[in-house]
Amino acid sequence: MTRKINKILIANRGEIAVRVIRACQDLGLRSVAIYSDCDRAAFHVRLADEAYHVGPSPSSQSYLVHDNVIAAARESGADAIHPGYGFLAENAEFAQRCADEGIIFIGPKPETIRLLGDKLLAREAALKANLPVVPGADIAYDDDNIALDTARTIGFPILVKAAAGGGGKGMRVVESEELFSEALTSASHEAKSAFGDGRVFIEKYLAKPRHVEIQILCDEHGKCIHLGERECSIQRRHQKVIEESPSPIMTEELRERMGHAAVDIAKVSGYVGAGTVEFLVDQDLSFYFLEVNTRLQVEHPVTELVTGVDLVKEQVAVAEGKPLALSQEDIVMKGHAIECRIYAEDPASGFMPSTGKLKNYRIPAGPGVRVDSGVVIFSEIPIYYDPMIAKLAVWGKDREEALARCLRALREYRISGVESTIGFHRVVLQNERFIAGDLSTHFLEEEYPDNNYRRYRPELVENAAIAAAVDRLLTERKIVSSQSGAMNRAGSGWQSFYRRENLRNFGGSR
Amino acid sequence: MPRYTVTIEDKEFDIVLEYHADRLEAVVNGKPRKIAVHKLGDTRSLLLVDNHSHEVDVRAAGTNGLRTVFMQGMEIPVTVENYSLAQMRKTAGISAGPSIEKMFRAPMPGLVMQIKVEPGQQVKAGDPVVVIEAMKMENILKAKGPAKVKAIHVSQGQSVEKGDKLVEFE
Repeated sequence: MTRKINKILIANRGEIAVRVIRACQDLGLRSVAIYSDCDRAAFHVRLADEAYHVGPSPSSQSYLVHDNVIAAARESGADAIHPGYGFLAENAEFAQRCADEGIIFIGPKPETIRLLGDKLLAREAALKANLPVVPGADIAYDDDNIALDTARTIGFPILVKAAAGGGGKGMRVVESEELFSEALTSASHEAKSAFGDGRVFIEKYLAKPRHVEIQILCDEHGKCIHLGERECSIQRRHQKVIEESPSPIMTEELRERMGHAAVDIAKVSGYVGAGTVEFLVDQDLSFYFLEVNTRLQVEHPVTELVTGVDLVKEQVAVAEGKPLALSQEDIVMKGHAIECRIYAEDPASGFMPSTGKLKNYRIPAGPGVRVDSGVVIFSEIPIYYDPMIAKLAVWGKDREEALARCLRALREYRISGVESTIGFHRVVLQNERFIAGDLSTHFLEEEYPDNNYRRYRPELVENAAIAAAVDRLLTERKIVSSQSGAMNRAGSGWQSFYRRENLRNFGGSR
Repeated sequence: MPRYTVTIEDKEFDIVLEYHADRLEAVVNGKPRKIAVHKLGDTRSLLLVDNHSHEVDVRAAGTNGLRTVFMQGMEIPVTVENYSLAQMRKTAGISAGPSIEKMFRAPMPGLVMQIKVEPGQQVKAGDPVVVIEAMKMENILKAKGPAKVKAIHVSQGQSVEKGDKLVEFE
């Protein structure tokens, strides 16, 4: 059964809203933006065909309020809602509400979201689909002794994890038996206070794991394909910062096995739409199921760059009930793509958010460069939302070319007004271990234990000093020249100085 | 002839700038450097140092010669002092650059989670001063330059409005 989508409301903000609006316009569909108080003039609002106010700046009073988002969809006459990632993207209740209201939710069915959103249920689904999972067991919190027995069987070190939620909350690495009981209790308490659910489970702790995930795409007619992998091992505080495809360790054989596994769990859970199956890959290349993200991922552009598939367009087609036009044989990965997440954060102070106005903003361009930016020059970076402002993704014929191109693009990127992670990416991309592809999820904490990314190179420091001294001289001269009229015959002395400089350097007279 | 003492982190530069009608010459720590500047905007310039090109954005950060240089994706706090005043300061035994704005105020409404300094403590640029929670995010407010803490005007757990006094420097 197919249904035509004519107008899509994007229940999000920032770069992902911009990304989806662009897909709508590429498809000839109308796009509807929503915005909070502080996002009145945001870039996504400027690009969309229509825009509706959904409440005050805090997301809990605007972007997350089901009633307000549904009301905007009703008022605009949108027939579908694209949730982006974050906010309402993995909210089964909201997906159900859309269904009840007769609005198409561009994503999996509510029951699939509910199933895969619970780590324990997802693990059961993975076992049912014969996926390898990290050795471990589900335990009830009050079952201390049984838990210890299990931990002994698995072998220390082990990892204690909360069943609900993520982001490292309710997570503990336990090195030895003596520390086990206390870690279990404190992890459960933390999970209880963070997610209202104190259930924890334990699994084997892998010393040097890579995070490798498989992009899947399924239609409602039972067809499901995978679009290869993304390596996302460069993380801080369990959040990805650099992603690439293909993974430096990938072989055709391993890709096929992981791809099959991803498709298998999708089928078991009745998956419809685009999704991502996350795995940990150990040093011996054995892989273990981690979780399924039932949405478009932040890092989807690297897959788009190597496969040539527009994932958002595919999402829309699937949501319209169309059968997938692509088959597994159509998916051929070509070249190499790298993505750097550009955050308004200060890497040197533990990635603290940096808010303010973008006084200068210039994005890189040229061959093989794609920038998904949620901001433009003079945009305000509000304190209310995720500080990721843009994604830089590059393509090269191989990893070496992609790396060089990524560094080049970072060099071209200009941001002033707020701190950004551009300098951080430049440091990591020139790290020898990174260049060699020797990655693990512990990479950043191992290589930069004190967040010491700010290694100013000596010549940079000297040039910054010169720039500041010149600026002071110019400021002082300007004051002098405006005070003494004699210097103001043809504008200020400095204006004419600049004019001469420009003539001399760009006029080619020397 | 303008001569400046420029401090970035623990590095100090002695910079003499000579302004001619059509060019700028610099002597940096005794070494001559050829300089060309082209204005790109209010605060942005293209700076050529010995024909090497650098796009810089230099912004005043408070009074007293404090500047922020945005360069190659990094934000670099810089102190620029008049050379002879800096010499006098050093003779007087004051360790760091000129003082920054005396009153450290809340840049946003929020909850004071931690106060990282004590009265009498010497801070340098980038040192955390106060941690404020706003909209469930911790924001570390850092010193913009070297200063000595004189007084603390808030306590942990207190909620503050934008512009409220947090910490006073000498």
